[in-house]
This record gives sequence, structure tokens and C-alpha cells, in this order.
Amino acid sequence: MNIPLKQYLQLLSKYLRPQWKRAAFLAFLIFVSLGMQLAKPQILRVFIDAAMGNRPGANLVATAILFMVVAVITQGLIAYSRYVSEDVGWTATNLLRNDLATHCISLDMSFHKSHTPGEMIERLDGDITKLSNFFSQMVVGIMSNVILLLGVMIMLFRENILVGIGLSFFAILSVVVLTYLRNIAVPYWTAERQNSGMFFGFLGEHLSGTEDIKANGAVGYVMHRFYSRLREWLPVVRKAYLAGITMWSATIATFTLGNAIAFGLCWYLWRTQGITIGTVYLIVNYTELLRRPIEQIRTQMQELQRASASITRLSGLLQLESKVQDGAGAVLPVGPLSVEFADVTFGYEDDDTVLKGVTFSLQPGKVLGLLGRTGSGKTTLARLLLRLYDPTTGALRLGGVDARDTELNYLRQKITLVTQDVQLFQASVRNNLTFFNPEVPDEQIAAVLEDLGLGNWLRSLPGGLDTVLNSGGTSFSAGEAQLLAFARCFLVDPSVVILDEASSRLDPATEQLIERAITKLLENRTGVIIAHRLDTVERADDILILEQGSIVEHGPRLELLKNPGSRFSSLLQTGLKELLA
Amino acid sequence: MRTAKLIWRMIKYRPWLYIMNALVWTSIHTIPVLTGLITRAFFNSLTGEAAGLNIWTIIAMLVGAALARISCIVLGALTDSRHRFTMSALLRNNMLQGILRRPGAQSIPCSPGEAVSYFREDAEAAEDIISWTVDMLGTIAFCIVAVFVMVGISPRITLFVFLPLVVVVIIFTQATHKIEAYRQAARDASTQVTGFIGEVFGSVQAVQVARAEKNTIKHLRQLNDQRRKLILKDRAFNLLLDSFSSNTVWVGTGFILILASQAMQQGAFSVGDFALFVYYLDWVTGASEFFGYFLARFKQMTVAFDRMLEILPGSTHQDLVEHTPLHLDGVLPDVEPTANDPEGLRELVVNKLSFHYPGSEKGISDISLRIRQGEFVVVTGRIGAGKTTLLRAILGLVQKDSGELYWNDQPVTDPGSFLIPPRAAFTSQIPMLFSDTVKGNILLGQTEERIDVQSAVHTAVLEPDLQQLEQGLDTMVGSRGVKLSGGQVQRVAAARMFARNADLMIFDDLSSALDVETERLMWERVFSKQSATCLVVSHRRAALRRADHIIVLKDGAVIDEGKLDELLPRCEEMRLLWHGDHADSDQTKEALRQLQSAGSNNN
Repeated sequence: MNIPLKQYLQLLSKYLRPQWKRAAFLAFLIFVSLGMQLAKPQILRVFIDAAMGNRPGANLVATAILFMVVAVITQGLIAYSRYVSEDVGWTATNLLRNDLATHCISLDMSFHKSHTPGEMIERLDGDITKLSNFFSQMVVGIMSNVILLLGVMIMLFRENILVGIGLSFFAILSVVVLTYLRNIAVPYWTAERQNSGMFFGFLGEHLSGTEDIKANGAVGYVMHRFYSRLREWLPVVRKAYLAGITMWSATIATFTLGNAIAFGLCWYLWRTQGITIGTVYLIVNYTELLRRPIEQIRTQMQELQRASASITRLSGLLQLESKVQDGAGAVLPVGPLSVEFADVTFGYEDDDTVLKGVTFSLQPGKVLGLLGRTGSGKTTLARLLLRLYDPTTGALRLGGVDARDTELNYLRQKITLVTQDVQLFQASVRNNLTFFNPEVPDEQIAAVLEDLGLGNWLRSLPGGLDTVLNSGGTSFSAGEAQLLAFARCFLVDPSVVILDEASSRLDPATEQLIERAITKLLENRTGVIIAHRLDTVERADDILILEQGSIVEHGPRLELLKNPGSRFSSLLQTGLKELLA
Repeated sequence: MRTAKLIWRMIKYRPWLYIMNALVWTSIHTIPVLTGLITRAFFNSLTGEAAGLNIWTIIAMLVGAALARISCIVLGALTDSRHRFTMSALLRNNMLQGILRRPGAQSIPCSPGEAVSYFREDAEAAEDIISWTVDMLGTIAFCIVAVFVMVGISPRITLFVFLPLVVVVIIFTQATHKIEAYRQAARDASTQVTGFIGEVFGSVQAVQVARAEKNTIKHLRQLNDQRRKLILKDRAFNLLLDSFSSNTVWVGTGFILILASQAMQQGAFSVGDFALFVYYLDWVTGASEFFGYFLARFKQMTVAFDRMLEILPGSTHQDLVEHTPLHLDGVLPDVEPTANDPEGLRELVVNKLSFHYPGSEKGISDISLRIRQGEFVVVTGRIGAGKTTLLRAILGLVQKDSGELYWNDQPVTDPGSFLIPPRAAFTSQIPMLFSDTVKGNILLGQTEERIDVQSAVHTAVLEPDLQQLEQGLDTMVGSRGVKLSGGQVQRVAAARMFARNADLMIFDDLSSALDVETERLMWERVFSKQSATCLVVSHRRAALRRADHIIVLKDGAVIDEGKLDELLPRCEEMRLLWHGDHADSDQTKEALRQLQSAGSNNN
């Protein structure tokens, strides 16, 4: 498996460019500290030769103190440059995280169906945090180590050409071996990360379903699955670990070779050219100095290997294109919109069809009641209207404009949806209602809540709109949450309103409370009401009945009502059988 | 030293594996002592202090030491990966079991995303620290052997090599208590980021529909930035300490130079000796840095243990490190089959049950009810009346404040573990399906011989849906059952409940996502079972009509109870709920009249 260096560099340049000044400063710090590191063995040579009497007149104590000062400053510079590199790394990866989150959040729903939130946490946080190490390791670590390596080589060539050649051979060999081994571990790390992603996805899923688990005595089942996952995971971890260790072993082997070469050459030069013992020490010391960069390059390469796995996955994510794309930016007519389905066929996967050749139209300002058995395609129809998906074939027109020609953001400004599942964030009431839009004034929110009969509820909150809702929402009834979803809907001004089983979880008394509000919402707007219950479609002008993805009946409600042979009236009969009995 | 005790307890879980691991890693860490001695021999043979050693002998020894070390490393990778995995798995196992012991609706005090981060990061931190104790042992062994060698050469200089080390350790131990606060803040900020990502992607459809992509990302960016700042603070402190420790060692090196200069000039200290001292010092520097790092991380481990305990309210540290089986090897035992309830339900009595959500006035007060075998009891009321809460309190999914339960006259002390199959089964209002097949979700680990899947599927009116699905019962259900519609999820959950074959079935508003016909069919099939005893939350007429007993809740209290025809005349709330269920519009009445007359004409 080959990891293209190009991908690294692209990432680096893209996310470092905004902070190039800090990056340049960082490079300066690194160069200075490297120079000082190279100076240390030179000082030691002077010291040893002087101590052995080969260099008369040198002040030993002054040399020792000089060594100390240089060493202390070097350490300080290294620490500071590491701090700067962390800052640069986190700033860069935060940018990347934002880009990726922005990208993923707008991918179409078929992507999100196959990726659990737990998995997204692994990608957006686990993987990218690995990349933050990658940035600091790449910038400070590998770069500075490579430069140090080169610096040492230059110093060795200055001493003696033979030493330079011999140890260059060793350095080049190390680099070649390490580069070769670099890619070996990547597939194992990828497998390990994937497995851990699956494991934590599994955990997250079961942690949100504890109520169902407990009350149905499924604890044993969950633990059994937990153990099975552990057993699958362990061999993958072991392989990844072994793959990683290969590089360490290789470094030790090559480094021993380097030492052996240095010893042999020094022995030879000592015998033939009479170099001083200080110079022998200098050569061995420089070879020794290569230990840290090479050993660090080893761990940094490991990080890089992990980052490679992350980069592979992340660039895979970035390359995914939403199946639903912005259109050319067609403008929709002002006011309520007509809705038209022209022979629309759609399936979530290639081999299934949820909607089959659906054709109907709804006049502007009218309300359509959508009926059908669960799974008949009602919700899917609503999703197509919002362009959460696009039809496989056929077209969907709003106010005469093909929905695919509109920009998503623009379209969803014109259409709102209230679903049966209300998702709450662990955030303030305000943010939960406005979806983190700071521009909605508090008065408007308060007015909407008042309108929905939630005024008292709002006043009972200890921190008002700033009160933080808990994500689990256990102290929050599903009905109340649903009322909040209505409030969300009222805060935008759409041209088309879709109510998807919106009132299903409201008790009748509360439902009456918001009937008035719904009436207001549907006023001068086109409406689509999806319901299982007949009374919910009382306000519909037209009725459409779906069965297994096809229209089995469509027409004005009053007409269908009068026709005793219609499905609608027979449905009414079944639904109200008790009343008739 | 609580952290040390916990770690000790974890180490004792697999003592032999640990000892093995420690031995191997001690060898890996101490072999460099030999390399130092070989280096000394090289210099001494040049300057004539130790004549007789051939250059090839020296090189051969060098290579031998390296090969020995590499072999140990390979062995160490095997023992360490196994031990590490075992340690984090033990914590994760105990955490999960602890959470599953809690009342189901109050299992974790945070979002699942946050809880996952505890499972991931804090267990990993524990894994690291325990693995590093092995390295600590090895490093200490290296230091002892090295000191032994160095004292043999020059006791005076040896003292100055180790003096700075001691200083560093003292400074570290004093300074690290400050790390915890920074660390905690950084971790909290991190948890906020992961929690938010989880929430956003858990409700991505709502985000897209509300065009909130930009604003949620903006919020994420703020959280990210906050985390960056806190992490940098944490890092800055660590780097400062780090650099301080290295400097201490360098200053120490300088002193050795000064001391050695006198001895070298006098010929009492060879260049080989000097090379050995500097070589060991390099390793001792690494060792002291590691020692300091270990201490810092060890201190931080307290935070990690506390955090892991945080999601297990009511548990102790002891529970966290309990020696529980992990089944990593051997045969994985099957899920224990649910025993049949020999006695069966005669009567469930709830007496003055109260529960209030902590820090809130919401809840239920003094609720009493009685369900006899074969009865159909409906709880009704408007939203926020406490219907779901009542079911949760009975089932022990929340920890009741007061009140008693009696099952066949026997007091039920822990309903959470008593009112489960085969005695009771439950379908929640928004059921969760797990990433498994439809069948797997229904079986919940029980064998097919014990569970009548077909009959459960039939009762839940799931057959038409299964026919639509290409793989029928073997269809994989997505992470949250997303590939099924809301009603389908609910019916799979209902089938799951029916399959439990429990004495008492409890439905929380089962019908909220079902259409009229499906719901009617399901009720019919449930009641065709002679033994069915049901407690149901509903405000549907279909259910209310069938009820043997209706309990009307308002603001968490029972305001009336009885049969429908008793309640309708006397209970205002009941009337409101009853009439609310059908918008009795004139149009519909008119249509019905027409239908009726059409029907009678045909006759």
C-alpha cells in the first residue's frame, strides 16, 4: 500500500497557509536549536583533547560551562518550538475538522444512514486528532530530524571524507529501510482504526438504548455481543502492534550497523592517520547524535502511519459527493407554491423501489392529506420534497420549477418539515429552537412559545432561553418535545409546510391547543399533511392514498368522501367502525 | 494513593501475563547497559587501558546485544498488546455492566456520545499507564545496573549523575498536582466537541431541513477553538516541566565535565570511562524524562478514574476494577435462556408510587393501581401528565422516590431486575433497534427453539413489511433502525416484546406511529391470546374501549379511574381526551350518515 506524499503536502500547504507567519517563525526556532545541537560535540572534542593534554592552553572549566549554556538554551528552544508547533497543528486541524464537518453535514441522507453518529465521532474527532499529531510531528519532528541528520553528515564529511562516505551509507540505508517499512503497517493500522470505530459505534448505540435493553431483559444479549466484539478486535490489535514494532526493530538493527561502521572507521583512522582521541569521540558522538533523530523518525513514522490510515479514510470521505447537488439557482415564485410530481420513481438503494411512478399535482395554497400504511412511501415522498434525496427518475416541480434546479439552502427556506422524531441538542433552549442561529430575536422566540401555549413553561425555566436542555431529555416528555418542533417550524417563514405525523404523539387535549397554530401556519401556504389518523386530514383539500409506493387514489377530499366506493370512504368506515357499531 | 491501589488491583487481574510482560520489557530496557560497556571497551582499547580486545570482537558483541534486544521486543509486542487490551477491556466491561445495572431510563448522566468518550479515552489512559508501569520497572532496573557499573568506576561522579535526577523527580511530584486542573479542563472541552458531533450527526436530517448546517458548524468551531486553547494550556505546562527536567540533567552533565577534567588530567579517568558515563547519562536522561512523564500521567489518571466513575452513579472505584470474566479465549458462553415463570402473574399491585426527576417538580405522586391476570389496563392523560414516567417507575427504569410494588402479594424490592422477562416485557415510546438483523433484534440472543419468532411477527402485524424486505427476517437493521419507517421500528419492537412471552406486557403509546388498520389488527391479535395481561399508555379510542380499567392521569396524579362508561359521564378530563381523539366535524358526520344510509339501502 503506497501512501502518496502528495496528499500529505496538499493537506499541509492548504491548512498551514493561513498561518504562514507562525510557521516561518517556527522554522527559524528549529534552525537555531539544530545549530546548537550540532555545536555540542565540537565543544566536547575541545574538552577531551584539552583534558588529555592534546590542546595546551584551553580552559577546561570555561569549556564545560560553555557546553552547559549551549545545552540549556537548546532545550529551552526545543520546548518553545514544540509549543508553537502544537498551536499551529491544532489551529490547522480545527480548520480541517470544520471543512470536513461542513462537507459531511451536507451529504445526502443515504450517507448518514450507513454512518452512525459514533462512527462520525471517530472520523471527525479520532482521526483528525491523530492528524493534529501528524502536523506537529511532520513540521517539527520529521523535518527538524531530517535537517539534523543532514547537518551531522556535513560535519562528518568536514572531518574526513571516508567517515563521511561510510556514515552516509548508513544514513541512506536507514532512510531507505524506514521508507520501505513505512507503508507495511498502514493496512494493519487502518484495520485497527476501523475495528475500534465499529466497537465504539456499537457501544454508543447500546448506551442510547438502555431503556429497551433493561426492560426486555436483554442485558445478557448485549454483553454477549460485547464479548464477541472484543474477541474480534483483539487479533486485529495484536497485528497492528506487531506491524508497528517492526520499524523499531529495524531502527535498532540499522543503528547498530552505524555504530559498527563508526567504530571500524575510527579504529582504521586512529591506526593509519593518527587522529586525536577527541576526534574519535566526536565521530562516535555524532553517530550517537543520529540515534535520537532516527529513533524519533521511527515513532514519528508510526504516527505518520496512523495518520496515513486516517488521511486515507478522511480523503475518502472528502471525495464523497452528495447525490443531492445544488441546482443552478432557479428562483421560485413568491407566495404559496404549487407542488407537482411527474412520474417520480425512487429507491434508497439500487435494488429497491419505494416510490413507483408517482404523478400528482397540488395547487398553490391547498392542503394535501397523504394517507397510506406504514412503509407505503409517505415519509419518502416528504423527503423528496425537501431534496433530502432526488428522484431516481421523473421530476418534482415547485411552482413550476424543477426542484433540482434550486439551491438546497434556498429550497429548504421555502419548505419546512415537522417530523415525528424530535432531536434535541445539549444546548440552550434558544439554540435548540433556532438551530444555533444567533440572528433570531428573543422576542420572536418568546412570542412563538406563547402562541403554542408554552409561555408558562418558558417562564418556569431557571435560566430562561439560556437554560441548557439535556440531550437525553428524560425529564422532557415526547409531547413537549414535539411542541418545541412546532416552535422551530414557526420560527421560519416557509411557502410549503410538511407535517409528517406531526401530531401523532400529542394527546388530544394538547393537540387542540395547537390546532389553532397549525391553522395559522397553513394560512396562505401550501401544506402536505402525512398522517395515519383520519382526523388529522380533516383540513385537507385533496387526499392522496399511497400503497407500496404507488398512488391508489387521489382527488378532492369532499368528492372522495361522497363516493362510497372510494378507498378514502372505506378507510373512514374501518377507522370509525367502533363509532358505527 | 487511591490510583495506585486501583492499578494494583487491575494488575492482579492477570498477574502472570503482567509478570511475563515485565520480565521481557525489563530485558529490553537493560540491554543498553551492555552497549555502554562495549563502547567503553572500544575507547579503552584505543588508548591502551584495555588491550587485547580485537575490533571484530567488539563489533560482534555490539551486534549480539542488538539481536538479543530485537528478539525481546518482538516477544514484548505480543505480551504487551495482549495485556494492554485486557486492561482496557476489563474497564470497559465493568463500565458497561455497571451502566446496565442502573435504571434503564437513568442509565447515564450524559449524552451517549460523551459516555463513549469515557469508554474510549479514559480506558485507554488506564491501559497506557499500566503498560508503562512495566517500562518503569525496566527503566529502574537499567538505572540500578548502570549505577552499579558507574560506582565501580567513579563513585564521586556517579553521585553527580544521579543528584539532578532526584531533584527533577521531587520537582515533578510537587508540580504535577497542577496538571490535573488543566488536564480536566482540556478533557471536558474535548468531550463537548465529541458530544456535539454525535448530536449533530444523530439528527442530521433535522439539521439539513432547518438549513442549520452553517450555524451548527459555527457552534462546532467555537467548541473546537475553546478546546485548542485549553489543550495548549495543558501542553504549555507539560512542556515547561519537560524542558526543566532536561535542563537539570544538562547542568548535571556540565558538572561531570568539570569533575572529570581533573580526574582525566590525572589519568584516573579514561576517555572510555567518560564515553560510558555520557552514554549512560543519555539513557538516564531519557529515563528521568519518562519517570517525570509517568508521574504526571499517573496523577492525571486520577481524573480518568473519576470520570469513568462519573458515568456509574452509585458505584465505587472497586466496582470499576472488579475482576470480571472477559471471555477473550475459550468458548464464549451463549446468552442465558430466559427461564419460564412457573407461577405466572395473578396480580400486580402498585401502592403509592412516587417519582420526581431530580431537580425538577415533574414526576408522579402517590399513584396506586392493580392489574389482575388477563386484564387490560389503560393509562391515559394529556402530555406531561406523567404516563411514561409511571411506566418507567413501575418497571424500575427510574429509581422511585417512594411506594411499593407487589407481585402476587410478594413485595418487589428491585423492579428493574424483577419486572423483566419472563415476568414483564416492555415497548418504549421511541424504541431502539440495534445493528443486527430483524430476527436478531427479536430474539435478543435467545435461541430460535425457545422463541416463536413467527408468532411474534404475526401478532405485531410485521409480515407485510417483511415480505417487502428482500431478506425478510435476515435484513440488517441500521444503526438506529433507520432503514425502517417509524411504524416498522415500532412493530419490530412490539414483536420483540411479544417474543419474550411475558406474563405482563407493557406498551408505551405503541400506536403513535401506526395507522388505524394496523393498530386494529394488532390489538385483535394481542387479545386473541388468552393469557395476555397488558398495561398500556394510550389515548386512542380503540384501546380505551377495550380497557378493563382506565386510569386518568393529570399533573402526575390519578384524578379518576374506572371503566370508560363510568368515566365519561363523571370525568371532565376523560371527556376532553375522548372527544379530542376525533375531530367531530360536521363534514365527517355528514359523510358517515351518507355511508350508513348507503349501507342500509344496499340491504
